Amino acid sequence: MVSEIDVISAIINGILVGSIYSLVAMGLALIWGVMDVINFAHGDYMMLGGFIAYALYLAGLDPLVAVPVAFGAIFLTGVATQRLVINPVLEAPLVSQIAATFALLLMIRYGAEAAFGPYTRLVKVSYAETIHLGGITIFVPQLIGFVFSIFVALLLYLFLTRTYVGIALQATSQNREAAQLLGINVKRMYDLAFGIGVGIAAIAGVLLTTFYPLFPEEGGFFTLLAFIIVVLGGFGSVFGSYIGGLIIGVVETVSALFITPSLKDVVAFIIFIVMIMVRPTGLFGKKE
Amino acid sequence: MRTGWSEIARQALSLPVLVAAFLLVVTPFGLYLADLPFIANMMFLSLMYAIAAMAWNLLMGYTGQLSIGHAVFFGVGAYTTMILVVYYDVTPWIGMFVAGAVAALVGLGLGVPFFRLRSHWFTLATIAAGEIFKLVFNNWEYVGSSAGLQMKIVPEGKALYYLQYAASYVYIYVALLVLAIELVVLYRIVTSREGFYLQAIREDELAAKTLGINTFKYKMMAMGISAFFTGMAGALYAVRYHFVEPAAVFDVITVSTYIAVAGIIGGIYHFAGPIIGSFIFLPAAEYVRVTIVARFPRLFGLHVFVLGVVLLVVSLFAPDGILGWMEKRGYIRRRRVIEV
Repeated sequence: MVSEIDVISAIINGILVGSIYSLVAMGLALIWGVMDVINFAHGDYMMLGGFIAYALYLAGLDPLVAVPVAFGAIFLTGVATQRLVINPVLEAPLVSQIAATFALLLMIRYGAEAAFGPYTRLVKVSYAETIHLGGITIFVPQLIGFVFSIFVALLLYLFLTRTYVGIALQATSQNREAAQLLGINVKRMYDLAFGIGVGIAAIAGVLLTTFYPLFPEEGGFFTLLAFIIVVLGGFGSVFGSYIGGLIIGVVETVSALFITPSLKDVVAFIIFIVMIMVRPTGLFGKKE
Repeated sequence: MRTGWSEIARQALSLPVLVAAFLLVVTPFGLYLADLPFIANMMFLSLMYAIAAMAWNLLMGYTGQLSIGHAVFFGVGAYTTMILVVYYDVTPWIGMFVAGAVAALVGLGLGVPFFRLRSHWFTLATIAAGEIFKLVFNNWEYVGSSAGLQMKIVPEGKALYYLQYAASYVYIYVALLVLAIELVVLYRIVTSREGFYLQAIREDELAAKTLGINTFKYKMMAMGISAFFTGMAGALYAVRYHFVEPAAVFDVITVSTYIAVAGIIGGIYHFAGPIIGSFIFLPAAEYVRVTIVARFPRLFGLHVFVLGVVLLVVSLFAPDGILGWMEKRGYIRRRRVIEV
């Protein structure tokens, strides 16, 4: 029998893990909103962030040191990707755009697999302990990840709403042509959106590595989750995605109490299909 | 007006088609005589993916609906054949066609909700459907959960009934037979009035609707046929490899993505594009896998990486695939579409 405390515990742990999903999804939503491009390789940039954390961990540093390093490195990778791969296909038919980002997916995911080996790695941080509060169990690295996630989301919020460049990004997302007429360099906004989008995913990858096994193919699952979350939170709505991530995290942990854990993702995928059927603008999105 | 059989026969009897058919029929036996199982396997895989990619392209190239969930039909086809053999003793010769029919029913079932979605929303829904099927089959005890189903041991003298041969070249002939049936069916559709309706939907769905085309009905038709032949490709996989498991037949990369990539590399706006694409990318990926990856297991994944590079080059520099690129350069003439 599922007790009340189990449910509360599941909700809290769902929020903690969901906050990582949220970061991946925010990046995807930013790219999707500003550029109108679906980045199928999104989770794979996240995985690269994880490997940067792992490299620093092997060098004897705390994986969390990798947060700024991974963001910087993957931001630059993202800008390069946008200029070399995404920009040439921006005006191309949908199938070419999807083919290009799928090509990135195959190259990053399986390039990493060939370079680093397909096996799973575990990082043991010094603070890998659990806290017990009543019947609720919390894993400390997850709690730290949650705090970082809130912090990163807050920074992104301030950047998008309080700085000139951030507001220009939002303007591009709302109306590309009007933004261009007002003198915004749209191509530069694309560079920024893609760079920041995958950079934030890389931060999520770093945080994830402190409590979740790391392997080159991990990105696939997170890309799919990010799609679900972006659709749930409202297509292109960066902050809707943050809430959407928390919701999906909770849905997963709570439904795992009632059905076979391996089927919990089916619930998320069914929510996804129902969402795009019924309300493709999401819970918090604007009407198209 | 539908293309008559005589017209199809006339087109089929053209020299390049005859040469290609002759090579396809002679090569497998030659491979058997020369004892080249690796190349025979490569050829079988190319044919299997060609069957699925041709089917996929009826939806993509002709109807404009990009699916990255064809693993659903491939997997359902593979499982249907296997269940019929293992639990009900039904020969794969019948099972293959039942597999196609079941896959087509699944396709129609998915089409009802999914065809309300446009462009990338449709694509995302198909990806989600593939994941749902994989997870459900992974947890379904009747079909062996994640361990999958194994072909039973064939009694003496029943090899033909169970379609279980040690020599892999036999399967190439079965695949050729399926491909031949598929080509005739698809060719008749795309050169018929319905085929032009599909292309009208691809170009502008709203305009097609305005002209009185029941777009939903024709998209469903394309989906049903596409799913049918993809299911048959899955059935071929099941009989050839004697084993099905959810992780293999419902895989988003090695099934759904490979099928789409074969079509895109060959050229989605040409009838034979997916066949060309399959026969280029599969041998290339298999070659890298067997020669480099098998020798240096540390480099596992390299063959898929190479595939990614090829796909990137194609999508940047030849977005209409190899055949589209050749046409643009004037190496081949665009096949004149038969007048309606």
